[in-house]
Order: sequence, then structure tokens, then C-alpha cells
Amino acid sequence: MLADTRTDAARHVSTWPSTVILQVTSRKTVRSAVGWGVVFGLYTATQALAYASSYATPAARRLLVQEFGANTGISALVGPAIQIDTVPGFTAWKCLTVLAITAAVWGILTSTRMMRGEEDAGRWELLLAGRTTRRRSAAEALLAMAMGLVALLVTTGIITIAMGRSSKVGIGAGAALFFALAVVAGACMFTAIGALASQLSSTRRQAAGYASALLGVSYALRMVADSGTDLAWLRWATPLGWIEELQPLTRPNPLALVPIALLTAAAAAYTVYLAGRRDLGASVFPDRSSTAPHLRLLSGSVGLAFRLMRSMLIAWAASIIAYGLLLGSIAKSGGKIMTSTPSMRLVFARLGVTGAEAYLGFALLIMAMALNFVAAGQISATRAEESIGRLEYLLVRPLSRTRWLASRIVMAAGIVVLAGLLAGLSTWLGAAGEHAGVSFSSMVEAGLNIVPPALLLLGIGALVYGALPRLVTFATYGVLVWSLLVELTGGIVNVNHWILDTSAFHQMAAAPSAPIDWTTNAIMTAIGVAGALAGLVAFNLRDLKGE
Amino acid sequence: MARPAVRTFALSKQFGATEALRDLDFEVGEGEVVGVLGPNGAGKTTLIRLLLGLLIPSSGRGEIFGLDCQHETVEAHRRIAYVAGEANLWPTLTAGETLHLLGRVQGRLDLAYRDELVDRFELDTSKKVRALSKGNRQKLALVAALMTRPDLLILDEPTSGLDPLMERAFRSCIDEARGRGQSVLLSSHILSEVEVLCDRIGILREGVLVEMGTLAEMRHLSALSVEATFDGAVPDLSQVPGVSMVSVQGSSMTCQVQGSVGPLLKALADVGVRELLSREPSLEELFLSHYGAGLTAQGDSGNAG
Repeated sequence: MLADTRTDAARHVSTWPSTVILQVTSRKTVRSAVGWGVVFGLYTATQALAYASSYATPAARRLLVQEFGANTGISALVGPAIQIDTVPGFTAWKCLTVLAITAAVWGILTSTRMMRGEEDAGRWELLLAGRTTRRRSAAEALLAMAMGLVALLVTTGIITIAMGRSSKVGIGAGAALFFALAVVAGACMFTAIGALASQLSSTRRQAAGYASALLGVSYALRMVADSGTDLAWLRWATPLGWIEELQPLTRPNPLALVPIALLTAAAAAYTVYLAGRRDLGASVFPDRSSTAPHLRLLSGSVGLAFRLMRSMLIAWAASIIAYGLLLGSIAKSGGKIMTSTPSMRLVFARLGVTGAEAYLGFALLIMAMALNFVAAGQISATRAEESIGRLEYLLVRPLSRTRWLASRIVMAAGIVVLAGLLAGLSTWLGAAGEHAGVSFSSMVEAGLNIVPPALLLLGIGALVYGALPRLVTFATYGVLVWSLLVELTGGIVNVNHWILDTSAFHQMAAAPSAPIDWTTNAIMTAIGVAGALAGLVAFNLRDLKGE
Repeated sequence: MARPAVRTFALSKQFGATEALRDLDFEVGEGEVVGVLGPNGAGKTTLIRLLLGLLIPSSGRGEIFGLDCQHETVEAHRRIAYVAGEANLWPTLTAGETLHLLGRVQGRLDLAYRDELVDRFELDTSKKVRALSKGNRQKLALVAALMTRPDLLILDEPTSGLDPLMERAFRSCIDEARGRGQSVLLSSHILSEVEVLCDRIGILREGVLVEMGTLAEMRHLSALSVEATFDGAVPDLSQVPGVSMVSVQGSSMTCQVQGSVGPLLKALADVGVRELLSREPSLEELFLSHYGAGLTAQGDSGNAG
């Protein structure tokens, strides 16, 4: 009987087609791509239709141009506002950068999962079993992801074309498709970069880290380019700048497709080349298999958590400092442009803030979002310890569940507070270097002001972790992405204030350009604490659960 | 009076509609080595995870040295150590760092014994867990458990992935633990391991403890193994009362006999028997008589005898 089973298995292996990686990968990728294509398409359509009805008259649109046409704070965030008195111009402004970045993140997560995650989990080993070359399997995975990208383009394209046909919107099919292409270009480049990073590093997290760092640098360069300084040429030095240069829906410039295609092709080709040069499971960057012991941190669960996240925390701190210095140093010129119209000058004068402070109000919104990502990352790392099965090695020892989870949450809260202070301080330092006239105390307070939304998210995350652990990553990032989308779209399109209120970023005052609302901050923090306490109780009442 | 190391009272656990453990009453006395046998899915791991407080019982409760498994976990865990079947340790820590960390979290550590164990299991402490083979990770988890000299060792299929030499080192460690009066709860489907190590054995099947006793008691409950070689054709013995699992190879036959051997002897007397051999069944055969032949393919029982 045993022997029978074995021959059965052998027969099964021999009938596997050699394109098994292509099949498995493409199935997963295409499914996810179609889902995201629908999101991208609907998001674009919502923006276009909402604009058409909110700003129906030329007068209303002129007002919008006055308000945002020269707002360097917002253009640093989402790109310059070109032709925003037209539906196509507005749609491109609101959707292109946001969606291209989302698509890029999707690309990084997909390719590192498909290329490094599957390999780490040992699944490729099973599939390959010496039947095909590594180079070929890498090429197959890349091909499968190209199929996913086509699916993303087709889905996004169909919905945007359908949207364009609406009489209120009036965007031609060609232009709509070019817009979809511009969005997918982000996914394209960063899928290839993620694949390359998967060859260079030995774990999925590391690979995603390298690729995300590149995305971060790319975004930072684009911010500088779009901040109204004389560094606009920098746009040609960054992948996200190329996407902006495509200018779909306004002044299409297909020339910018050239660097996009070149980068994608080069990264893909190098991926295949490297794949053939390394062992399965190994990486190009050397990965030391033994080291001298470092015992200082390893005296308990909190020290362990610090030790495990050390490099990630350093990376976050470095990015926050870099963004802070960058934003601070362009605050003066950005603020000048923002207050260049008399009406805006009047508005800010009444609030008693300088141009630079007005600009930094927007800049710190980005930091608030970054802090939320730090918080969400802490929650999902907490869950990962449990789902992988490492947590039980701690909990079978004299360490209570309450103590373990509470110390993780307190630690995460501490990290978030420090990150907020770091954001405020580095921004102040950057601004002070340019003599932008921003006071130290106002920036420290502004830095602390962005902490409560992250504490709120931590509390929500802890509650879901305690009650429904398998959903926690999905729920935490879901809340985060929802808040981001509401905040990035709600301010301009007239969205119902009940919806706006669901975004923690909307609750937060835009310090230093607006006075800090300490009451709201206290309420957000209190909800966070309550969520964490409820999460602790729930965690004690449930089973430990794997994936 | 000494409290038993482990004691459960009608302990039950349901996962959705599945009943993983039903009304289990079970005891491991102080200083006793008890094995729990059963195929995959029988409830061994569920029992152990309930005792460790990693799972919450649906009903009933468990105690470790009289301490409630769910509500007095910290006190109970001071006295135990646990090794899981899969050692999912932190891949970026070295083996030495892992031992240091787990020793500190346990708060009770015999440094000299730790170094002795590291030597005995030939563990390279400078290596990162990521670079260790499955067997070496398992060794690391074993050392981490043994080094704290717990009053109760809870082992869930602890020797998976160990080579035979290391398995022997493991057995001698368990024997020493017994010698020092430590209690051991060992789950396994490697029968020879349990046979050698355990004072008492429980057999779990579909969440129910179907058998519990010393090896001698279990043998008594079970069948006698009979092998016979015939001069001529092998007669049909499957209808003889008490006889089961008849298998014929050429002119020889093996079968199990439940209860009295009288009817079989009578049947054999009429035909020419050249050789007759009867012996106590091995634990493996015991196991088979409880679970049937179909389940052997799952376990490691094929190479355990």
C-alpha cells in the first residue's frame, strides 16, 4: 500500500508540466491584479465624477485653481496641479501619484512574495526538484508577473474608459488608457525592482525593505522637484517623476515611457542573470551564517523584540530624519509660493502663521502617515511572532500573556512617540538651516501632534489582535489605507463630513499651520488605550493561533 | 502529599465542529515518565497545548503540580520545560543567543549543565538558527528545555529529525532526568522510543484516551502473536474464534489471537504443522490492533521496530 502511494506520487511528478511556476505564480498574481485594478478604476471614476458635480461652474473651478494652483505643500505631496479647472486635469492631479505609488507598493509586495517568499517557504524547492534551471524559473515568475501587470492595466483601463464615456467627464478612450498605463507603469518598474531585490537579499522582508527604500528615495526626489524650487529638473531623476512627466489626461508625453521601459527591462534582465548565478535559497549579498554573540538585549521579550526589529527601526528613523530635513529645508520657498496670492496671505495672516509654517502643516501630514505605517508594522510583527510559532517558546516559560502583549504595545507606543519627536526635530533643523522662521517649540509640539492618530491605530490593532488574530494585519492596514484615501481625496471633493470624520488624519489639526487641538488628541489617545486594554483581555481568553 | 505532575479533569477541546479532545482524565505522577501514543490528529498536540495554556479548554481543566493550567500559568511554567515537534526559533539569532534568551526568560538556568548538554548534542552555538538543519534546530530546542532542569518535561514528538546517535543522547538525558526524579510527558508516534523510555503509556484515538497502563498491563490486554509453518497447504484459519489479522506467505502464516489460544491449537492439530512460534506482541503490533493496518503509512512505525 505504501509502495503504491509512492509510485502514484512519482507518476504525478513526472506529469507536471515544466511551466508549473508560471502557472502557480500567474494564477495568484492575476487574481490580485484584477482586484486592485477594480480599486484603481473605481477610485479614479469617483474622483472624476465627484469633481464634475462639486465644481460644476467655471467660477467654482477658478476658485479651486486660486486655492491649489500654487499650493506647493499639496503639489509636493501629490504632484503639481496642472489644468485643475478641467475634469481631466483634476483627475490626473488627484489620482496619478497616489495610484502610481499604491501600484508600486503592490508591485514590490507581489514580486518579493512570488520570488523570495515562495522560495523561502521551500515551495520552489518542491516545484523545481532539479527539473528546470533557476534562470528559467526566475524568467517564468517574471513572465507570470507581467501577465499580472497586463491584467492590472486591462482592468484599470476598462473602468477608466467607461468612466471617460460619461457625458459629465468626457475623456477619450485613448487618453483614459494612457492614464491607466501611467498608473501601471509604477507597478511595472517596482515589480521588476522587487524581483531584483529578491535576488540580492536572503529574506522576503529584506528584499521588500530594499525595494521600498528605493521607492522612498524616488518619492523624496519627486517632492523636491515639485516643491516650486528651481530643482524641477530632478523630476527626470526619479521613477515617480517619469510617471508624472507622462502627464496623462493633460499634455501626454509618451517620451517619458522610454526611461520607464528601460528601467523595467534592465531590472528584469539582471534578475534573470543573477538567478542563474546563485544557489536556491541563497542570496547575492553575503549572509553570514555565524556571528559572535550579542547578548546585551537578549534578557527578555522586549529586548528580543528590539533586537529583531533593530535594522527596521534604524531604517525608519533614518527615513524620518531625511524627510524632515528635506521638508524643512524647502519650507521657506514652498511657503513663499503658497502665500503668493493675496487671499491666501490673508488667510494665513489671520491664523498667525508664516508661509513656511503653512507649508510644514502639509509636510507633517506625510510624517503622520509614516508614523501610522510604523504603528501598523509593529502590530503585524506582533502577530507574526505568534503565527510563525515562535511566541510559544516564550509563553511556555514564566511569562504571562498579559505581560508579553502589554510590553509589546508599550514599546510600540514609545517608538511612535520617539518617531513623532524625531519628525518635529528634524523638520525644525532643516527649516532653521534655511532661516525659515519656524520656532523650535512649535515644531516639537507639531511632532507630538502627529502621534495620537498612530496611537489610535495601535489600539485598534491591539484590539483586533486580541479578538481576531487572523484578521489583524488586514484590518490594521485596512484602517490605515482607508484613512489615507479619505484624507487625500476628501479635502477637495465635497465628501460627507461623516466619512471625513472616520479618518484619524482628518481629526488631527495640521500643526504648525493650524493650532493643535489637544482635546481631540486626548480623545484619540484614550480610544487607543481603551482598545489596547480590551485587546489584552481578549488575548487572554483565546487560543494561540497559527496562520 | 506530593501532587501529580499532570492531572486533567474531563478536559475537552473543540475546534469549530471538530472534537479534538473529549472528557480526558489523565495523570502523570511525580517522577513518572508517561508516553502518549496516537496517529496524527489523535489529539496529542491538543492535549499538550492545553496543558501549556496555549489553548483554552472548551470544558474541564488541567493542573500542573496542582496549579491550574489556564489561570496559574506563570507559577506552573516555572516548573516545566517544553519542546515542540517543530523548532520555530528566531532565524537571525545564533544558537548561543537563543539559549541565553530562553534561559533568561525562564529565570532558572544551570550554566554548567547547559555547556555539558551543548557538548553532548554537539551543538555549534555560534551558528545562526537560519543556518541550522532541522535536526540541529531540534537539538537546540531540546537543550533549551533540558538546561533548566525542570520538574516536568513536556515533549511533543521531540526527536523528529534527529539522527540515531543523537536520539541515543536524547534517551540518556531522559533517563537521567528520571533518575533525578523529574517527571516527563512524552508524545510520540515512534513506538520504540516510548517502549524504551516510558513507565506508563496512554493511547489516544480521535480525542479519546482508549488505553492507559504500563507496558506489561497493555500486553496483557492485547493479543498473542502466532507464526506457523505448514507441511502442506495453509488452511483457512480466519473463521477460528479469537483469530484476527491472518496473513499468509507461501507455506507460513502469521496471525493475532485474542483471548484463549485453545480454538487455534485445536484447528492446527488437524493439519501438519512444521514450526510454531508464539510471542508477546511488540508495541507496534499493539498499536496496530487499536488503529488497524490502514494507519501505519502515516507514522514512522515502519522503521521503528
